[in-house]
Amino acid sequence: MIWVALLLAHSAAETGSAARGEQVFAQSCSVGYCHGKAGAASRGPRLRGRTFARSYLERVIRDGIPNSAMPGWKGRLTDQDIAAVIDYVASLATVSNDPPPTTAGSAPAGPAPAPEFRGTAEAERGFRLFFDATRETRCGVCHVSGGRGIAIGPDLGNLAGKPEGEIAAVLRSPRARHVVTVRLRGGETFPGLRVSKQGSLVKFYDLTTPPPVLRTVSQAEVLSVSDDAAWRHDAYLAPYTPSEIDDLAAYLRARRP
Amino acid sequence: MRPVLGVLACALACGAQDAAHENWPAYGGGPSAWRYSALSQVNRSNIRRLAPAWVFQTGDVLGGLQSTPIVVDGVMYVSTAKNRVFAIDAATGRELWHYFYPVPREFGLIYGPWNRGVAVADGRVFMGTIDNHVVALDQKTGRELWLVNVEDMQQCGCNITAAPLVAGGKVIVGVTGGDSAHRGYLTAFDVKTGRKAWRFWTIPGPGEPGHETWAGDSWKSGGGSTWMTGSYDPELNLVYWGVGNAAADFYGDARRGRNLYTDSIVALDAATGKLKWYYQEVPHDVWDFDAAYECVLVDLPVNGRMRKLLVNVNKGGYAFVVDRTNGEFVSAWPVAENITWIQGVDQKGELVGRSEPVPGQTRLLCPSIGGGRSWNHAAFSPRTGWFYSTGIEWCQEVTAQKEEPKEGQNFFGGVFQLRPPLKGKAGGHLAAYDPVTGRKFWSYESKYPLLASALATAGDLLFSGDPEGNFFALDAKTGEKLWSFQTGSGHRGSPVAYSAGGRQFVATPSGWGSAVAGLLSQLWPETEDFRPGSAIFAFTLPEEGR
Ligand code: HEC
Repeated sequence: MIWVALLLAHSAAETGSAARGEQVFAQSCSVGYCHGKAGAASRGPRLRGRTFARSYLERVIRDGIPNSAMPGWKGRLTDQDIAAVIDYVASLATVSNDPPPTTAGSAPAGPAPAPEFRGTAEAERGFRLFFDATRETRCGVCHVSGGRGIAIGPDLGNLAGKPEGEIAAVLRSPRARHVVTVRLRGGETFPGLRVSKQGSLVKFYDLTTPPPVLRTVSQAEVLSVSDDAAWRHDAYLAPYTPSEIDDLAAYLRARRP
Repeated sequence: MRPVLGVLACALACGAQDAAHENWPAYGGGPSAWRYSALSQVNRSNIRRLAPAWVFQTGDVLGGLQSTPIVVDGVMYVSTAKNRVFAIDAATGRELWHYFYPVPREFGLIYGPWNRGVAVADGRVFMGTIDNHVVALDQKTGRELWLVNVEDMQQCGCNITAAPLVAGGKVIVGVTGGDSAHRGYLTAFDVKTGRKAWRFWTIPGPGEPGHETWAGDSWKSGGGSTWMTGSYDPELNLVYWGVGNAAADFYGDARRGRNLYTDSIVALDAATGKLKWYYQEVPHDVWDFDAAYECVLVDLPVNGRMRKLLVNVNKGGYAFVVDRTNGEFVSAWPVAENITWIQGVDQKGELVGRSEPVPGQTRLLCPSIGGGRSWNHAAFSPRTGWFYSTGIEWCQEVTAQKEEPKEGQNFFGGVFQLRPPLKGKAGGHLAAYDPVTGRKFWSYESKYPLLASALATAGDLLFSGDPEGNFFALDAKTGEKLWSFQTGSGHRGSPVAYSAGGRQFVATPSGWGSAVAGLLSQLWPETEDFRPGSAIFAFTLPEEGR
């Protein structure tokens, strides 16, 4: 058994795939505090000299390990690179070649990294603006789009496919349909979004200043909740030039709902 | 037997204003981060009778227990790796309440799971989370009061593992992310409402001074994380924070320039977050030598003149001493023998004889990426006037490689492999130094690097723990080991002292784990099998022993 595994390991090491895998491993797996140079262990476990089933490696590399620092690499690495990394690990460890698992029934994937958006130049600019990390009040701080961002404001999926002029108009003056004014007995007043009510506790997003704060208050503390929201969404669009608004509109229109 | 003049001057002038007394109210003991307790019921004459009073098992063992317990009015507040918070009767170990943060099923970040502690102020308990939120709990019940997502962790590639600092009605938190394509920052939130009060970017944006120290777009992914806890001087109203390495860690060609404010100490106005001054320890870092560790604030005479100082041990193994009113360089001295990335630091604070990794080549450099010292904190005793710090003797082979930044993804620019040191044996030590000159008075040697913080007390004791599970006390004046107790799992957290019901307690987290703990197996393979754990051990003197 051991002989067979060793032979397999050696033949894998000699393939071009393992050579590519070595490169990918150096860039993605041994970096920093992870699996160490050539799988020698670091903060992540040692891989060198251990025994793995190929199907196990494949699953863990693709989907990551829940509640741990091990990310899923599906979406970050191509299928070829994942296969190459496994070939490379096989050159350091003993990897038994059991049949690869069917995709059905494998563990659900963790959050893949932000998928890059592809579209017209205008829409791609809009995508980058939506998530532009140099802007503290970028759209992604309060809206999810394409599986990315923070879900506080409404999903903007309903805008997909609408005429650009219409989207730009909504962007310039979105109606406040959900924001309410919350008054607390202590005298505090803030623009809020209702989130949930559980027993005597209510949760609101406090929109006074971004990022929104999820506040939990007891029902008894709430003096009133009214629809007359003085909150203006415009403040978040003000930093964008008219042509940038057009780019955002193009992105919201082009992306899949 | 009279203390030397400098020490006496300090004992009077710096007083014991930052000593912890009955309570251990803040991460560093007090806002100056001395990790010193003025309690002396447990002292050199009775330490041999110190015995366990209670043990609290958190059950959350993955990642170890790296916390500093906070103790206020007989209640201890502890956080664990997966953001569980426990309020514990500090006299008996009985649980009063717990709060389990809903951790995401997968977080996929290299920073964590671990958490280094909570802050307690204004009737609230504050914690940063594994998925980059800050949460405020009711101090009496543990009920959630507010929760804010600092930034989408998948986008920034960052989260929070450090304890927050409360200063001037604000809870201030840093983030990890320095080994990711990330732009670091520090954020202050209002303690009552959780609303953002200010943000300080550790890398200046276009138009701001210092922006020119970054080539091209490198500022957007240049690291500069704020992954530990800062200090506060209420008199100057300044918050001091150490800033981490520049990214990519080992590959700097794409970010030519000094790369401000990475590897710097920044002094910020507590009310506004505006930069008052900075001191950069390592311009253009290509070694991952953060300045992120604790900032210890001490008032000491320098050449006969009393000065307000700040001592920060850099990960590269040098302690930097600066004037905390203006950032002026005072001195620098080593905490490890094996340092080859520079030949030294000159009178003006300039690094001399830099030895940099070369892309595509493998070079032997000391210390390793784990540091000439890890983040586990030093202690300062106003009684001896000495600074107690660990140090590590180890080296590494670094292979730098060109790497393109991908927002929020790992961004190291190289790989490394630990190697034994050039001089002496691989291992660690805990030593007593003059905080200004670095003169060494004694050194306690350890087989393995010591990765737990130090605690100094007015009983002239110095407490710490080792990777094998021994929690021990040294004579603060001589370094002689006076007492030791095996807690069953290695030490990676921070011990504290407090008083409850008239009795002094010394408490320590026990629980092996962490990034650097994982690195150890490259030099000491047996450490791979060291048992994890997650418990608080509290010790006191038996009734008849006091
Ligand atoms: C601080 C949080 C925040 C930020 C930042 C933000 N939004 Fe909003 N947005 C909201 C909230 C809350 C609403 C819901 C208002 C209501 O209906 O009362 C909203 C509503 C909208 C709507 C209307 C949706 C509908 O169905 O009517 C659009 C469109 C929109 N936002 C786009 C954007 C864009 C584009 C950006 C970036 C330029 C942005 N938002 C930034 C919080 C935010």
